[in-house]
Amino acid sequence: MSEILIQFKKLNWLLVFLISFLSFVGLVMIYSATYGDDDRVFISHFSKICLGLLIMIAVSLTDLNFIKKHAYLFYLIGIILLILATFYGIVGKGSRRWLNLGGFVFQPSELIKILVIITLAKFFDEKKLQSAGDYIFLILPIFLILSPFFLILVQPDLGTAMVVLLLGLIIFFISGISWKFFGILSLFFIFSAPYIWGSLKEYQQKRILTLFDPESDPLGSGYHIIQSQIAVGSGGIFGKGWTKGSQSHLDFLPEKHTDFIFSMLGEEFGFLGTISVIGLICLITYLTYSIASKSFSDNFNKMVGYGIISNYFFVSMINMSMVIGILPVVGLPLPLVSYGGSSMISYFIGFGIILSIDRSMRN
Amino acid sequence: MNKAVKKSKTLRRRAFILGMSKSLITGIVISKLYYLQILQKSKYGKLSESNKTKIKILYPERGTILDLYDKPIASNQIDYQLNILKEKKKFIGQTIQKLESIIKFSKFDLDQVKLNLRDENLSDFITIKKNLTMDELELFELMSNQFPYLLITKEKVRHYNHDENFSHVLGYVGYKKINKNKKLANLKIGISGVEKNLDDQLVGTDGWVKLEANSRGIIKKEIVRKNPIPGKNIKTNLILDIQSKAMEELKKVNGAAVILDCQTGGVNCLASSPSFNNNEFSNGVSNQKWNQLLNHEFNPLLNRSIAGLYSPGSTYKLITALFAIEKMKLNIHKEINCTGSLQFGNRRFHCWKKEGHGKVNLLGAIQKSCDCYFYNLAKSIDIDDLSLFSKQFSYGIKSNIDIPNELGGIMPNRSWKKLNRKERWQRGETLNTVIGQGYVLSTPLQITLMTARIATGRKIFPSILKVKNKEFQRMNLSDKALNYIRKSMYSVVNDFDGTAFKSRLSSNYKMAGKTGTSQVRKISMEERESGVLKNDEIDYKLRDHSVFTAYAPYNNPKFAVTIIAEHMGSGSKVAAPITKRILEFSLKNYLNYV
Repeated sequence: MSEILIQFKKLNWLLVFLISFLSFVGLVMIYSATYGDDDRVFISHFSKICLGLLIMIAVSLTDLNFIKKHAYLFYLIGIILLILATFYGIVGKGSRRWLNLGGFVFQPSELIKILVIITLAKFFDEKKLQSAGDYIFLILPIFLILSPFFLILVQPDLGTAMVVLLLGLIIFFISGISWKFFGILSLFFIFSAPYIWGSLKEYQQKRILTLFDPESDPLGSGYHIIQSQIAVGSGGIFGKGWTKGSQSHLDFLPEKHTDFIFSMLGEEFGFLGTISVIGLICLITYLTYSIASKSFSDNFNKMVGYGIISNYFFVSMINMSMVIGILPVVGLPLPLVSYGGSSMISYFIGFGIILSIDRSMRN
Repeated sequence: MNKAVKKSKTLRRRAFILGMSKSLITGIVISKLYYLQILQKSKYGKLSESNKTKIKILYPERGTILDLYDKPIASNQIDYQLNILKEKKKFIGQTIQKLESIIKFSKFDLDQVKLNLRDENLSDFITIKKNLTMDELELFELMSNQFPYLLITKEKVRHYNHDENFSHVLGYVGYKKINKNKKLANLKIGISGVEKNLDDQLVGTDGWVKLEANSRGIIKKEIVRKNPIPGKNIKTNLILDIQSKAMEELKKVNGAAVILDCQTGGVNCLASSPSFNNNEFSNGVSNQKWNQLLNHEFNPLLNRSIAGLYSPGSTYKLITALFAIEKMKLNIHKEINCTGSLQFGNRRFHCWKKEGHGKVNLLGAIQKSCDCYFYNLAKSIDIDDLSLFSKQFSYGIKSNIDIPNELGGIMPNRSWKKLNRKERWQRGETLNTVIGQGYVLSTPLQITLMTARIATGRKIFPSILKVKNKEFQRMNLSDKALNYIRKSMYSVVNDFDGTAFKSRLSSNYKMAGKTGTSQVRKISMEERESGVLKNDEIDYKLRDHSVFTAYAPYNNPKFAVTIIAEHMGSGSKVAAPITKRILEFSLKNYLNYV
């Protein structure tokens, strides 16, 4: 018992504070989003943050070696859950991605991202790359990435599937796979691009086209992106004030408490608000980087740390980019800020692992 | 071990590259935010503003038109209208289709919608249906959640309280075809009658309201409002009950009734029959209804009281007589023997009484309306002098009454004939003129003005709008002559052998008047020979008009009246009895001297 207390005290409390603070920002925005409406969303979000923080602390106190040891088993469980969700799950937002586990609705694709990182990190940590030309041994890690990728793609959840692919590539990259591999991959991608385009659903194609010219269909597919940009732009430097955003509160902004919460933040708190949140995200990322780089002795820890923070960082940036019109709308939430339980909890688990890495270093 | 160190190094290098790419991405996102929130703030600020605010024009309530006793004759009633948010206009078709199960859209309504859609104005709403019934309103309220972008508004629209009775004089309102003031596409303006002449005062000033609406078009709240200023109420000289009485009397005949207040010149009654219901115009008249009115056999759109042209007939003899006394120094006692006709040049002029009146002086000639006496006078009358004299009584010139579309009629003279008929004046035509036939044409209002001017000796001008009483200028006529004419008019009604004796008033008050028969066709020689046909025996449209003009009370004139009953024969038969009834009613209820 006292051992746990000692370990508890060793936690990186600055990181815990920053993560809690960002969650608090999310809570403040969700309060505004549901202001004068249904306050159950706010209460539900609040309780999920509490739950998430508890889970994060719990994970941070577990031994990372235990996770490493059973990584393939966890991965297998994750894939089974994902298969169940993809084929027997609950349908929502036009895709089948949720699983009801005894009253707790849960999105396995969020968890699998972390499991992919851990499993690949374990793989690359243990298997040494013999020579740059030895690609045969890459078959297993590619398979580890592509199976969840396709399972998520058929749900369909293009955004999360792309993130899985991206995370896989990032682990490949930092594990030191030669540039040649990435060169070949890029060529492959360029030549297969027309086929990928053809395989996209029409609404997905439209979203991508809309990005380049949102005014071409202002009331159709361009509507959300235009309204979102108006919301952000009209916020100016200081914003319209908390709960005062007309774009958000008059429903011009879609999905304002989930995917488009950043637009609402931009409208109500202005450039100062958006810059602050980006600053917070960068600070968290930087902090994690310094943790990962310090754990010089253990490549597994490093790869997991970089992988998890990349998951957090890239999803955040993709979300912000899509609401301000840099990327097509792919339906990814803003981590720790948007409403949505299993996504948020999976990030808390991720940060729990990072805290665990940090703690293990101090021992 | 060397390998492990090398790998660790690689990892660190790769992580650095990864970190750099993250910084780059962060930089891109921040630049875009800087662009949106700082560089383009004003553009997006405006867009956000126009997103949420909707402007609705508030139309002013039109001023009420009151009668002399402050009874409303044109007021406003509530009209529930259905409006659509302009930005949702692409749904207009399907919305109407869905609504058709509960709201009836006529072809006229749909045409209006098309017109409104084309209109460019400031308002963010387009009216798609007016005149919602209570049932439609209730049904719509039940379904309204299906149509969040529709808005019911309560407008005040013109309502004429007495249907057809005042249609000609008050006119009606409608939309201007080309509206200069684009922002007020839905503003109704006066198209005719009092509504047109006093439009500036009646119309009021528009206001607007800025509303906040959400993306579905649901109005959340009012931001700011400028209330419209209602138009001024207008008081007229018209008397509701007298006008209604006159319209009732004219129900079965085509014609006109004009009643002037001899003291003020106020128009107490200006009736024309047949009429139309101006309420139908107030809500926009359909093409079908409009054509029906235009092609109507008796032209109900014509305001006969100021634009119907009739020969004054024998009522004009009053002017001839006055002219003879004043300008020809006629010996009023001189008698003339009427034999029923008179030869002048190569033409024979007939008296209306075939067997003749025997010996008559001027008074008798007026009383019995002897034509021969006046033919005799005409022999020494110069038409240019008579024409000039007649103009004092507004013959041939507009009275400038304060409603539009008045006609001035014709008071012929030599130059008129040369100009209009390209012929010289025939002396025989003077004979026709002195008895009010031939070229002379007048409106019922002009005849009434003549009577009022004879009755008061003052140059009375008519006005519908109630204005401050003004003194009218005395006419340049001797009291002796005027009194003589008045006395002769008295005897027309009150003496046993007067033409309108049957229509004398049964009350204490006496009226003085003059009958007239306005010929519609020339009676040919052959007809004369074979005996003039009775009116009943000829085609309705060729029958004579029945004319009567009078004033009362005789000793202190208040009301001057003219009744014209088209194609109803002699004045004594129809017009005089109607006058009697209207005057008795007016004297009993409204004899209030100023």
